[in-house]
Amino acid sequence: MTPLPFWSLMGEHREIGLVVAMFVGVAFGFVLERAGFGRAQKLVGQFLLTEMTVLKVMFGAVATAMVGSVVLDGVGLVDLRAIADSASSPSWIWPLAIGGFVVGLGFVTSAYCPGTSVVAMASGKLDGAATVLGVVVGSVLGAELLRIPAVARFNESGDLGHLYLYDLLGVPAAVVALAVALVAVAAFLGAERLERIFGGETPLPSPARPRRAVFATLAGLGAVGVVTLALPHGTPAYSAPARIDPEALARRVVDAPWKVRILDLRAQEACAAARVPGAECAPAGALKDLDLGYAAPSRDLVLVGEGDLAEVPAAARPYRGRVLLLAGGFQAWREWALVPPGPPPPGASAAESASQRFRQAVHAALTGARAAPPPVPAAGGAPVRKRKASGGGCG
Amino acid sequence: VNRDPNKFWNPYLAGVALGLVLLTAFVVMGKGLGASGASFRVGVAVMEAVAPDHVGATPALRGVTEAGNPLDDWIVFLLLGVLLGGFVAAYTSGRLSLEVLRGPRISRAGRIAMALAGGLLMGIGAKFARGCASGQALTGGALMSVGAWAFMMTFFGGGYALAYFVRRAWR
Repeated sequence: MTPLPFWSLMGEHREIGLVVAMFVGVAFGFVLERAGFGRAQKLVGQFLLTEMTVLKVMFGAVATAMVGSVVLDGVGLVDLRAIADSASSPSWIWPLAIGGFVVGLGFVTSAYCPGTSVVAMASGKLDGAATVLGVVVGSVLGAELLRIPAVARFNESGDLGHLYLYDLLGVPAAVVALAVALVAVAAFLGAERLERIFGGETPLPSPARPRRAVFATLAGLGAVGVVTLALPHGTPAYSAPARIDPEALARRVVDAPWKVRILDLRAQEACAAARVPGAECAPAGALKDLDLGYAAPSRDLVLVGEGDLAEVPAAARPYRGRVLLLAGGFQAWREWALVPPGPPPPGASAAESASQRFRQAVHAALTGARAAPPPVPAAGGAPVRKRKASGGGCG
Repeated sequence: VNRDPNKFWNPYLAGVALGLVLLTAFVVMGKGLGASGASFRVGVAVMEAVAPDHVGATPALRGVTEAGNPLDDWIVFLLLGVLLGGFVAAYTSGRLSLEVLRGPRISRAGRIAMALAGGLLMGIGAKFARGCASGQALTGGALMSVGAWAFMMTFFGGGYALAYFVRRAWR
């Protein structure tokens, strides 16, 4: 079974996916309005300490979605990391932290955030409409600022890649989710205390029944998530390691070599003779000397064996970033990159021809061989000379 | 139906409801919730209509026009939904009315100016932070992204840092 999500926005059903996105938006807008987030006073109250609705709703939503996705991942219904890689941005830590501070300044000034200002505008609030206009103009201004080289450098600084709390802490995601659920309940109790102190003459009604039910559900689901770790498929990273095929690996080596670290696990002599460009030789004994558990997790680790590796070796498991196995091992790489590829088959689609051309280029670069000529030479064009790679690669 | 404009959902239940909407977005779309991304696309679409050459010469603006119409994106459809959902909820709760929400001591123009200035700050900040309270704090936070949690901390930090100076506008 393919784990969810459905990826409703991908492929030929994209139009339906856009309709789905609109319905999700309707639910989002409706809930925000009913929570009171179309009303500036309710939002700014968080910062004046008079009411803690923002904290309760936001932290409650984060904890609910977190324990929900962890439980669904634990029973094998969804792939949490795949969703996270698609739906969240990589952690450029400096621009995210400084940008967050600036958004916070803007929030308390306008008393809306970009999403709630849209709800306020929809309910007729002119100050909400002014904030919407400000956000539109501000985000274009922000993009203009990126023309300044120093600003653009700052915007790309502190790149940790897709890094998650469970990678950073080295514990299963379910443990983080349980901890967050418990911290959320504690924060709710603390927030109610603050409301009693600063709320003034109008203590806010806080009906006990739904409150207790929500607290118990969050903590209970968090515990269920941890229990799913005991299920046989509860640790997908080790039972079904992710694989990458030779073409995808070659593309990553060409496009973004700084985001991938390749370890060749074959014997030293075999690795020294021929390996994937940029690969480090790490024969069986040498792997644990690399202390992968302490290595910076920003690069994806790709492990290369002679053939298909059955599982991630024990010494690579503590690595906090993503670990991929080269599908088919070095044999597959040899077949893909070092055996002369033929011309694209007649009637190949554009994608197939592009893939074949890429393969020819990699083959030419690694072996110094000329690419096979295209089936029908283009009239009038000068012959394309492939240069041997002058350095960097090891072949 | 009795409509009480001052009656809201219990915040804990609203939080769970918002979390379930977010979880649905994860499972069905493989995406989260967001707002500032759509605002940016609207801004670029306007720029494209007014000054297409300038958009072509600015890499950060060109990024969303190269793939086609900047408005042809899921997050813009999500934003349309937010407008519709917010309108329906405001209408059915009796909170739909043309007005300026403000404290007792601030003029209408002053409040609009503050709302506009805050929006500008949030637009700039969200561009660098790759998202706002929904895109980073909610979505990234629920997915345990390290950057999103850093965002959340500094976001509240920024709010409290300035709260003392804006409190007079509301009291």
